[in-house]
Amino acid sequence: MLSRNIRFLSRRYSQALTFRTSEASPTQQNENQIGLFYTMNNDLCKQLFSHGGLPKSFTKQAKTFTETALMVRHPALDVINCIKATDLNKPAVRYVLYGEKGTGKSLTLAHLLHFAYEDGFLIVHIPWVSEWLRRVPRHKEMSNSQSREGLVDIPLDAAAWLLHFKMQNQVLLKSGDLKISQEYVWSKREKTDAGAPLAELVEHGITRVKYACDVIDVLIKEIKLLSNSKKCKTFVAIDGFNSFFYPLTRLRTTTKKKVTPEEVSLTAPFMNITKNDWSNGVIVLTTDQLAVPADRQENYLPKYLLYQKGFEHLDPFVPVEIGRYTEREFMSCANYYRDRLWLRGPPELESELKLTSACNPYDFMELCAPL
Amino acid sequence: MNSIRYKISGVTYSVLQAANCNFRPALLQCRLYSGPTSFPDYFRNPIFSKEEQAKLIEFNELSKLASTPVKPPGVSETSSVYYDPLVNKVINHVMKMGNKNLARQIVEKAFENVKRLQIERYHLASTPEEKEKVILNPKDILHKAIENCRPLLQLLPIKRGGITYQVPGPITEKRSLFLAIKWLLEATNDKERTIHFPEQFAWELLDAANNTGKVVKRKQDLHRQCEANRAYAHYRWQ
Repeated sequence: MLSRNIRFLSRRYSQALTFRTSEASPTQQNENQIGLFYTMNNDLCKQLFSHGGLPKSFTKQAKTFTETALMVRHPALDVINCIKATDLNKPAVRYVLYGEKGTGKSLTLAHLLHFAYEDGFLIVHIPWVSEWLRRVPRHKEMSNSQSREGLVDIPLDAAAWLLHFKMQNQVLLKSGDLKISQEYVWSKREKTDAGAPLAELVEHGITRVKYACDVIDVLIKEIKLLSNSKKCKTFVAIDGFNSFFYPLTRLRTTTKKKVTPEEVSLTAPFMNITKNDWSNGVIVLTTDQLAVPADRQENYLPKYLLYQKGFEHLDPFVPVEIGRYTEREFMSCANYYRDRLWLRGPPELESELKLTSACNPYDFMELCAPL
Repeated sequence: MNSIRYKISGVTYSVLQAANCNFRPALLQCRLYSGPTSFPDYFRNPIFSKEEQAKLIEFNELSKLASTPVKPPGVSETSSVYYDPLVNKVINHVMKMGNKNLARQIVEKAFENVKRLQIERYHLASTPEEKEKVILNPKDILHKAIENCRPLLQLLPIKRGGITYQVPGPITEKRSLFLAIKWLLEATNDKERTIHFPEQFAWELLDAANNTGKVVKRKQDLHRQCEANRAYAHYRWQ
């Protein structure tokens, strides 16, 4: 009896102490690693997330901790297992990650992106939709679309996204198997021939910023065609997807007319790729309260955030809730913070922090900051 | 009637008062806890930290206290593990117009900055001895900084024969603490418009903890002035 108690205690103790796993590849992770941190390779991290994708507060944290470590959590593993089990010849399955503020939707998406990269997917990733539609710095470049009447272009953001796309898919684009199907004429002198590699199209969008929005439109169509013809498998990840369905953006045209999301020329291609009329692809979206203004933040459920329109657009989808920390995840996180010198002090601190943060990961991180 | 009133504690008293408006004594100034002054001076200060309470129980003093009236603790005075009276003091000095929430936020932000800087320094240090020297706890840094900023002497203007002399003299603990915090905050607020308070305060704290920087220089200047004026010291009692 006594020895069993001791064994039980020692096992609990050892569980409390281990917070790291050496299994750095998301394709190999399984249920045993839930709640443990794995460290991402720095080069890979730079390749995948150098143009956004990790929340700002997390990047700051990663700099202080001198490593980028992600926690293996249940929802991410669930989605990974689902993707592994999916028959890719069927229409693309859509997953919607949802949850309260600060529970780690974006980080789960980052984990899934890492998985997609390891598994050889072509990645189409928007780090944060509101960056296009809701963030208006002093000089936001805007122009009327040349090709489509009544639409508004945001060429600089589009070019930045193309750069992000190029960065994330370096390996696949370099291999050169991906060819475009038809000829595109941009102006009298500029055109892209049929059969040119996809990289050339992307390069054109980056060098000729004026055409960046049109290039994205074409690129998305081509990616769909390529996926359908089994040339590549595609992983679409969009953070803050519900921003596309909020009635107004914060953009204004030069005539001070307010712009709706449909009038932005970047909306249409991504609406197109989130339909399930194509195969050989996986679509992971997040709906976030922070992507819309305060008047639409009462609830975190997807139906409320996506409006009727967005819900019908996505229906049917697989909802995946990202919850707060469980007991074990919380202890592992606290131990990780102690290891990284972020948390210090008597052991009673954990129970107090657990109470005040209510196991919300972001709140926990914030509360640890001044200690 | 009066004797009863003195025995019941503040909280019960206000409850009684709320229940019955006629029960209002003229002697006792009870303004429903607007501040510590609303309690007469025989009210004891509250003992809210767990260690002190444990000490009371150990020395069997709890039964003595049970019959004396006690002030209620303030909202910020908690029995939390990370409660620190000095930090609370600094927050109160930073506070403007009673906006304690904001004051606490920016002081905590400054602590976060201190911590980030120190952790970075820790990782940069090559040998274990150097690593051990880096103080990682921002509260320890604050304590050390304030200890280093405290003046030991002060100058008092005393008028003798129509001339005001700056006379050096000893300083009380309380005033030296006040001056240390005041100087730290003055040095912090003397900054560029584009730099925010938490960053500058973090730098000032680290400087002061290292025994360098504007505030420590100000303290040394005061000491030098006191030394120069030592000839006037006798005016304190003559």
